[in-house]
Amino acid sequence: MPSITTEISKSIDFIGAFDPKIRTFDIIMKTANGSSYNSYVVRGSEGVAIMDTVKKEFSGEFFKRLESLCQYDEIKYIVLHHLEPDHSGALEELMHRAPQAKLIISGRAVMMLKGIIKTDVPFETANTGKKISLGDKTIEFLSTPFLHWPDTMSSYLHEDKVLFSGDVFGSHYYDERLFDDEVGDFSYAFKYYYEHIMRPFKQYVLQALNLYSRFEIKTIAPLHGPILRTNPQYYVNKYEEWSSEAKFRKNTFGKKMLSVFYMSSYDNTHKMAEIIMEGADTIEGIVASMYDLASLDERNMIDLLEESDAIIVGSPTINGDAVKPAWDLLSCMAFLESQGKVGAAFGSYGWTGEAPEMLHDRMRWLKFRLPVKPIKVKLIPTEAELDGCFAFGKEVAEITMGKMVEMEI
Amino acid sequence: MVSVFLKDDNIKVNVSTGKSLREIARKSGASMEFGCRIGDCSTCVAKVLTGNNLLNKINAKELLALNAMGTNEENLRLMCQCNIEAEEGEIIISYFI
Repeated sequence: MPSITTEISKSIDFIGAFDPKIRTFDIIMKTANGSSYNSYVVRGSEGVAIMDTVKKEFSGEFFKRLESLCQYDEIKYIVLHHLEPDHSGALEELMHRAPQAKLIISGRAVMMLKGIIKTDVPFETANTGKKISLGDKTIEFLSTPFLHWPDTMSSYLHEDKVLFSGDVFGSHYYDERLFDDEVGDFSYAFKYYYEHIMRPFKQYVLQALNLYSRFEIKTIAPLHGPILRTNPQYYVNKYEEWSSEAKFRKNTFGKKMLSVFYMSSYDNTHKMAEIIMEGADTIEGIVASMYDLASLDERNMIDLLEESDAIIVGSPTINGDAVKPAWDLLSCMAFLESQGKVGAAFGSYGWTGEAPEMLHDRMRWLKFRLPVKPIKVKLIPTEAELDGCFAFGKEVAEITMGKMVEMEI
Repeated sequence: MVSVFLKDDNIKVNVSTGKSLREIARKSGASMEFGCRIGDCSTCVAKVLTGNNLLNKINAKELLALNAMGTNEENLRLMCQCNIEAEEGEIIISYFI
């Protein structure tokens, strides 16, 4: 284990672990610079609190650092800001070694705790405003759910003005120099982390920032990557800017965006897309646009999806399936908030025609509003079918603009 | 019939007794967000503005999850745990973040 400076402040030390070799995190994230699992020990006049643990295979490193800074019988509290396995991997062993310590988790973490530790263990739950005391040190908890797990909370050490932010403000960036002013340039990793982990939860980010703004923050101690002590407000501002972007653009233009995405083998699905767009564009307040998926890269897909209030996806059916770019488009929703977006699907087909219904079904699982049934046309659309496409586009646009949908189930 | 109005999606659904809110959301194409669907994660928490008495009573699991949210808001329910028990009436639901 390398010898590093672990002191964050007079009462806080880093006891986390480094993972320089990891290259893919949680299957979806590339980690070119490795990562760290940050954990901290807070010392007060009447005991010690351990803030989070590490991924299980790094427990040895974690316990060595912990033992160099405190005795197990000094530990009064163990705080888990969320229970994701990369931070709760050493929890069970730590509770075994420090049986007197009180485990503090958020209320939403209760069922998750049972999933991680299969036996009943004592714990206390914390919501916004709950405080624990280490004598001359006070830790206050803040409920910051869905960032990025439902059970996420943050905490604030009053005397040192340190925010323990959980995964918020994290970076997958390994550098044992620990502090933002001493490590290499991690700005790309900070933004990449936001885009892949926090972006789908923008509303919750803004709620959390509002809670954080009650406190003077001297240092941000996140669960991955550099500790932010130079100008914490800079990082807060970045999160605020990124989380407000789409909202800002919508407010500026004052219109609702309806995007028709399509792929076409023999121009038939393309023709449908054109007429659907025409129909949608007749509705006051809607700006309809169409995009050929053959020429969109992922970055553009994500931005367009985010900006769009309504998304209509068209695909021909090939071998009983929608085409891959249509699935690729919808897989980009993993990076975005979806609630409230209107969705619909269409396509021309030759023999079987499953694609529109498959896309419709996928959008349902992605939490789109899907008030209009998918439409499909066998090969070349007739005039009557094109009229149907026009009405389809118009209906989706009207619903996007607030038309009430009534039905019986 | 019971009228269920999903305010945020502007969807009004007329349903018969016994239907679950999950089924109503799915069949109406509403954007109501569900997570675990078993009452643990609170993703589907919503505020019942009218007609909470037309739904089943809060069960122990739902109560635990709602208490864990630490809010004083009244008439919050987890949509994944709700069924319509009345024969007639009006329910108005607003999603709650």
